[in-house]
Amino acid sequence: MIKIENLEKIYRTDEVQTKALNNVSLAVNEGEFVAIMGPSGCGKSTLLNIIGLLDEPDGGSFRFGSTEVAHVSERQRSKLRKEHIGFVFQSFNLIDELTVAENVELPLIYLGMGAAERKQRVEQVLEKMKIMHRRNHFPQQLSGGQQQRVAVARAVVNSPKLILADEPTGNLDSRNGNEVMELLTELNEAGTTIVMVTHSEHDARYAHRVIRLLDGEVVLENVQQPFTV
Amino acid sequence: MFKNYLLVAYRNLVRHKSFSLINISGLALGITACLLIGLFVHDELQFDKNVPDGERIYRVYTQQTKTDAPETFAPVAPMFATTLKQEFPEVEQTMRILMQNSVNLLEVGDKKIYVGDDLMVDSTFFDVFQLPFKYGSAAKALNAPTSIVLTEEVARNFFGDENPIGKEIKVDKSTFNVTGVLENSLDKFHLKVNFIVPLAAAELPAERMKKWGWQQFFTYVKLRPGADAKQTQAKLRAYLNDKVQPTLPPDEKLTSVPVLQPLHQIHLYSSNFKYDSSVKGNITYVKALSLIAVFILLIAGFNFVNLATAKSMQRAKEVGVRKTIGASQQQLMLQFLSETVLLTLASVVLAAVFTSLLLPALNAFTGKTMEFDLLANPALLGVLVLLTVVVGLVAGFYPALVLSSFKPVKVLKSAVVTDGIFGRVQWLRHGLIVVQFALSVFLIICALVVFGQVSYLHNKELGFNREQIMFFPMRGQNMNQQHEAFKNELKQVPGVVSASIGYGFPGDQVAGDGIIVPANGERKDHPVTQLMVDYDYIKTLGLQLVAGRDFSKELTTDKDHAFIINETAVKELGFGTPQQALGKTVEWEVWNDRNPDSLKVGKVIGVVKDFHYKSLYDKLEPAVLQIFPDAYWKVAVKMRADNLGSSVDGVKQVWAKFSPESPIEYKFLDDNFEEMYRAEDKLNTLLWVFTGIAIFVGCLGLFGLATYAAERRKKEIGIRKVLGADVSTIVGLLSKEFLKLVLVAAIIAFPVAWYVMHEWLQDFAYRIDMPLWAFVVAAVAAGTVAFLTVSYQAVRAATANPIKNLRAE
Ligand SMILES: Nc1ncnc2c1ncn2[C@@H]1O[C@H](COP(=O)(O)OP(=O)(O)O)[C@@H](O)[C@H]1O
Ligand SMILES: [Mg+2]
Repeated sequence: MIKIENLEKIYRTDEVQTKALNNVSLAVNEGEFVAIMGPSGCGKSTLLNIIGLLDEPDGGSFRFGSTEVAHVSERQRSKLRKEHIGFVFQSFNLIDELTVAENVELPLIYLGMGAAERKQRVEQVLEKMKIMHRRNHFPQQLSGGQQQRVAVARAVVNSPKLILADEPTGNLDSRNGNEVMELLTELNEAGTTIVMVTHSEHDARYAHRVIRLLDGEVVLENVQQPFTV
Repeated sequence: MFKNYLLVAYRNLVRHKSFSLINISGLALGITACLLIGLFVHDELQFDKNVPDGERIYRVYTQQTKTDAPETFAPVAPMFATTLKQEFPEVEQTMRILMQNSVNLLEVGDKKIYVGDDLMVDSTFFDVFQLPFKYGSAAKALNAPTSIVLTEEVARNFFGDENPIGKEIKVDKSTFNVTGVLENSLDKFHLKVNFIVPLAAAELPAERMKKWGWQQFFTYVKLRPGADAKQTQAKLRAYLNDKVQPTLPPDEKLTSVPVLQPLHQIHLYSSNFKYDSSVKGNITYVKALSLIAVFILLIAGFNFVNLATAKSMQRAKEVGVRKTIGASQQQLMLQFLSETVLLTLASVVLAAVFTSLLLPALNAFTGKTMEFDLLANPALLGVLVLLTVVVGLVAGFYPALVLSSFKPVKVLKSAVVTDGIFGRVQWLRHGLIVVQFALSVFLIICALVVFGQVSYLHNKELGFNREQIMFFPMRGQNMNQQHEAFKNELKQVPGVVSASIGYGFPGDQVAGDGIIVPANGERKDHPVTQLMVDYDYIKTLGLQLVAGRDFSKELTTDKDHAFIINETAVKELGFGTPQQALGKTVEWEVWNDRNPDSLKVGKVIGVVKDFHYKSLYDKLEPAVLQIFPDAYWKVAVKMRADNLGSSVDGVKQVWAKFSPESPIEYKFLDDNFEEMYRAEDKLNTLLWVFTGIAIFVGCLGLFGLATYAAERRKKEIGIRKVLGADVSTIVGLLSKEFLKLVLVAAIIAFPVAWYVMHEWLQDFAYRIDMPLWAFVVAAVAAGTVAFLTVSYQAVRAATANPIKNLRAE
């Protein structure tokens, strides 16, 4: 589903150039659950953002499905994003001015879906994430775990093929963290491809495979058995 | 989708209450000012627009060609109309109105009311101005010399609601028959009208109506459709040169050229015309106010842009999330634009409310009857909608562009966004603040200069004493014939210091005529102001003699052989010094229809210090004072300041004895002067009000920005405090930035304000020097206001507990 070859990303600021990604190649198959690990600053987020079409690489190729997307237009990217990709962030990134239900509804609005269908989809997904009773609350009124569940709900509401998660448990305690990992696993088992950045070896064990980065380069790919409790 | 935008917009408004309040109220105030000014300007531009065929109607006025500063006279000689009608085929009709300045006693049965603003007109009046009639019709309304057409208001005063056609009404004791009543629609007509009578009623000698030198008629022409006024004007000038000028005797040659002034320009473009009795506006003030309206709207709009971009940092995350989810930049643009339009809409609605609340005050102030009725006036509603959309889009465009162009990766990553775009935004924001303050400083300077000039106009030493002088015209034959006895009785009234009867009092009409100085066998005629006075004039007005003596009753020659002149006349007549002027011979052709040749020959017996008998718009002219009872008309009674009320009552009693059938109509002389500067007074007041609004709106924005600056730098301030910075250092840190901007603004505003005010002051013959302190005061005031506004937030930020702010990160 994702095929990346010799990917480069360089950040240029006034004084310095940072090579955030150097000659990165990797592939993710449909239905896989991949974890990306590595020390802080090694380029994990950069890689995830490029995969999520939020950022452009400076070199190399990136095929999403059968299309080359390394340098497509912003319009094309936003179309691909809203149709195929869901995001979960460490800091939840919910819109404070919108209620739980409205936050979850947002991707469907951008997809141009009718109101009735939206309502149904939102309720389904809120039900599934066990957050239905909080549907009319604002993000600030929820606990961290609840907020992240809303974020996951929002990421999956349009049934994306790919979910990208950047340290989804980073701001959560272990109980809430495990709940989120469980959710992701369920989604994966239902067929969604997941790429997740994490610091935690514990969380990484939920994944089928771990890609380790160091200073912008892939140092190790190992397949491992699915984690069982 | 749209619902979602509005929802977020609404919740944003509510969540950031103070921000919304600043933004909405600032803009609402700005728009209110604009609407009020707009209504006023629109009203001023509406003058005479209702007159049918208005675009074919012109007023003929003349422009002096001789003097260096050309003078413009509204009235022209009677022959202009006659010639235009007879010799110019493109002229459809002409019409004259006699220039006069009288208040008439109207009587119906026992009812007596003084009514001014009458028009004595050619019977073609209604051919030129097709005014709507309530009763009667234009066709025959002015046919008989005793016809009279009343306005609805005057008719109602005398006849109530009944149709008065055919009824009798007395005007200064002569009987007229009502032939028509005009509809009450004359409030935007350039002529003040209470009633109209035919010129025939004035019984002017036919001989005089053939004159080219008697500038006494406001003259109008209606051209045929398609005629070119410019051509007619050129032809008329050529005709005067070729056909008229050669026939005139040497001392009656024309010294002016005629101009055809479009009807629609009379109201606004005649402010410097002499002897013009039309309702005058002033295009300069209309333009100035329009400009101020634009300034205020700009200041309010800039607030909007500044606050919105400043706030964009807070919304960066939302943008990032929306983009991540798949929103396109266009969709986000649309979202933010609909937010600003919504915000603008709220402001416009609020402004509409403010406007309808404030309009009565403006109406009272301007004497207008403007209306702000959205239901009755769809055009007004259209203006508001347009205003909403335009202001919303223009002010919202840049912030929307900035916001929607955020890169999600960047804004989602860090709490503080230090993107390149913020550098640009900073630049823009500073630029806008500079413009705002430049406009404010400019307005403050203008307000101060205008204030200075207006105070000068009111307080300048005029060379005579204008306080506590009761002033009125004499009425009735009895009073005129016995004016000497009347004056003596007035002097007996307790509290009356002295009384003078004459023609030519300060602030009132004065007569201009020639004075002849015989020298070296030549007789040179100098144009001067003729003040027809009595033996008490100089004493009553407190004029100062700089040489010679006052008129004296004891010296019988003073009545027919003595003149007193002012200092300017000493110079203009070539007498050298006041002392040298004494004893010089001058001659005057006596005003006397029966014996036009009689010459009054006399000597200069005294010189008075120059005094301003006209407004300070006019330069002092040479003036000659002489005893000439034939012209006596007006009375000035000087009183003591205490018990003014009972002195006035005393004067009224004396009046009643001499003229029982007409009530007295009096003013105080200083009121005449106050009235002269009413336009300036109003400009002054309006300038202060709108400058105040402009500054307030600007400060609202600055306050908002300072709030954000303090917010943004919370952490920095916290660290500085932990490191030992005290409050004043931090306040200085936060305020310095803004004060620098004010300084730049002042430097930009100074030359512009200097230029504009310099031009304005040129209109006055007597004016203040450009007050440099005004510039200093304006800059300091703007700086102080900016400092206070900003430092409120700065002090709050500086005194907050640093630990709290550091932990919040
Ligand atoms: N916008 C940026 N500008 C400059 N350098 C950046 C930017 N974003 C990330 N970097 C640098 O790129 C490198 C990789 O960053 P990132 O992908 O965020 O690391 P990780 O997520 O693995 O902690 C780091 O050295 C970081 O400082
Ligand atoms: Mg990271």
